[in-house]
Amino acid sequence: MVAQTEPTNVPPIVLLHGISRTFYRGKEPVPVLEGLDLEVTPGSFLAFMGPSGSGKSTLLNLIAGLDRPTRGTVRVAGVDLAGLSDAALARFRADKLGFIFQTYNLMPVLTALENVELPLLLTPLSGGERKKRAQTALRVVGLEDRVDHYPRQLSGGQEQRVAIARAFVNDPEILLCDEPTGDLDRKSADDILVLLEKLHQEFKKTVLMVTHDPAAAERAGTVRRIDKGKLL
Amino acid sequence: MSTLRLAAKNLLRNRFRTSLTVLGGAIAVLAFVLLRTILSAWEVGVEYAAKDRIATRHKVSFVLTLPRHYIDVIRQTPGVQAAAWSNWIGSKDPRYPDLFFAAFAVDPDSFFEVAPELQVRAEAKRALKENRKAAIVGDALAARLNYKVGDRVTLVSSIYPGDWEHEIVGIYTVERGAFDRSSFILNWHYYNDAMPPERRDEIGWVWSRVDDPSKGAAIGLAIDNAFEEKDVQTLTMSERAMNMSFMGMFAAIFDAINVVSIVILGIMMLILGNTIAMGVRERTHEYAVLRAIGFSPRTIAWLIVAEALAVGLAGGALGLAVAYPFVNKGVGLWLEENMGSYFPFFRIAGATALAAALLSLGLAAAASAIPAYRASRLSVIDALRRVE
Repeated sequence: MVAQTEPTNVPPIVLLHGISRTFYRGKEPVPVLEGLDLEVTPGSFLAFMGPSGSGKSTLLNLIAGLDRPTRGTVRVAGVDLAGLSDAALARFRADKLGFIFQTYNLMPVLTALENVELPLLLTPLSGGERKKRAQTALRVVGLEDRVDHYPRQLSGGQEQRVAIARAFVNDPEILLCDEPTGDLDRKSADDILVLLEKLHQEFKKTVLMVTHDPAAAERAGTVRRIDKGKLL
Repeated sequence: MSTLRLAAKNLLRNRFRTSLTVLGGAIAVLAFVLLRTILSAWEVGVEYAAKDRIATRHKVSFVLTLPRHYIDVIRQTPGVQAAAWSNWIGSKDPRYPDLFFAAFAVDPDSFFEVAPELQVRAEAKRALKENRKAAIVGDALAARLNYKVGDRVTLVSSIYPGDWEHEIVGIYTVERGAFDRSSFILNWHYYNDAMPPERRDEIGWVWSRVDDPSKGAAIGLAIDNAFEEKDVQTLTMSERAMNMSFMGMFAAIFDAINVVSIVILGIMMLILGNTIAMGVRERTHEYAVLRAIGFSPRTIAWLIVAEALAVGLAGGALGLAVAYPFVNKGVGLWLEENMGSYFPFFRIAGATALAAALLSLGLAAAASAIPAYRASRLSVIDALRRVE
């Protein structure tokens, strides 16, 4: 079954066809995704929901090129990921994708500004230009007065906002969010969701989000359920 | 913010551990430099040997003696300007039984012609000729044991049994760095006259000054040929070769020192490697995040190698910074003054310092190779799941 976002003539920004992913526990195969097809229209906000072990995060990892399918093709932002080396996949992620993790994953030894600058180290921008863009990104997420704070000096919500700034500072086409509100209280979670909506609507980012949070799923334009490795 | 800054900040994450690692590296470098300087100092005497001096000894070994009349033949050899003999006495001052110094019984009439680098007053030289109990002592030994001209000193010897009374008539200094500043120069006749007939008129070796250093080998060959048909044959060689053959007795010790100096650096590499590996293990999750946001495996590896190089550089720099005053101003000076027989010149050679610096960096890079490779090959998904 093919799951799609809104019908459109624009080429899909994410195209998965016949995707299967099987892990192995010793010699015993553990199928996680089976025969999955997915097309995502550019500029969509798509949420994936499902029970634990349903394959949500595996799906996100395949789209990100962090994992390779056992069978099937993965095409993201016009790039077929199958033939890419690890270094090329890293380059692809740096150029096309932004990541937002459940546990923020900021570097504890770097300030908020330095954390946001990290993806920019992979560009030819000068030090001054990197700093300027990072400051702009922090202003967008409302943390311009926290640039010199270390993660330990920030609240959970603030850390996640820094992580969001880091995710979009390089102007990626797609934002991949793995349980972005999972570790936050309701108020902070809502703030994060507002921010993601802003990035989707104002900055025209394609947002793919894995979540258990119904309130988070409501913010998405489309919600798809995954269960036992199949997209419903 | 830069990649180097990220590496630097990671290093300072655990300042205590990094400081201890740098300190360990510095100590290893210090030990390496000290041991290599011992090896190079052994060779200084060889390198500082006089170019216009050759030495003649018993063909079998320098511990065997030559008949005294050989000196007359050697002095008659064309090309020989002056020749003097010398015997190793093996003396000790019984008041300082653990103190080693060299003591040579020399021909007082000719010795200083052959060893002009020894500077001493003319009166002292004359006294050595006229007074069989006279002794001229090196300035370093004199300073250490507070010897003064006029002092009476009794020496004992395992080679020449008995108590040998001496009067210090002069203190010599050294013009060039190779000659020991802690030796006794004694009158050979004093010891010879006290020997039983079967041990009289035996000399240890002969030093000869030649008029043309480029003909030293030929002159040496002529000397040896003169005794070829005799019962006691000779072996003549340049002073440099003579010193090298003496040092050859300690070849096993040199080899051991050489091995130990390398082992020390190997240990340093293992310690550094373990520290780097610990840091990488602790930061596996962070490296996975960096990979996820687009850092290539090679960049991750270089981050780790850069950290290791920084620690190696810091350890090497600190080690050398401590080594120079410690060796050149401290241990070196003490050895020159108190063990000048073995270490007439004890300084860190430029090549040693350079080797220490390069090895610090090279071994640091080598120590980080496996952790860096592993970090670059880690499974991003598995590492992202890992909780620190």
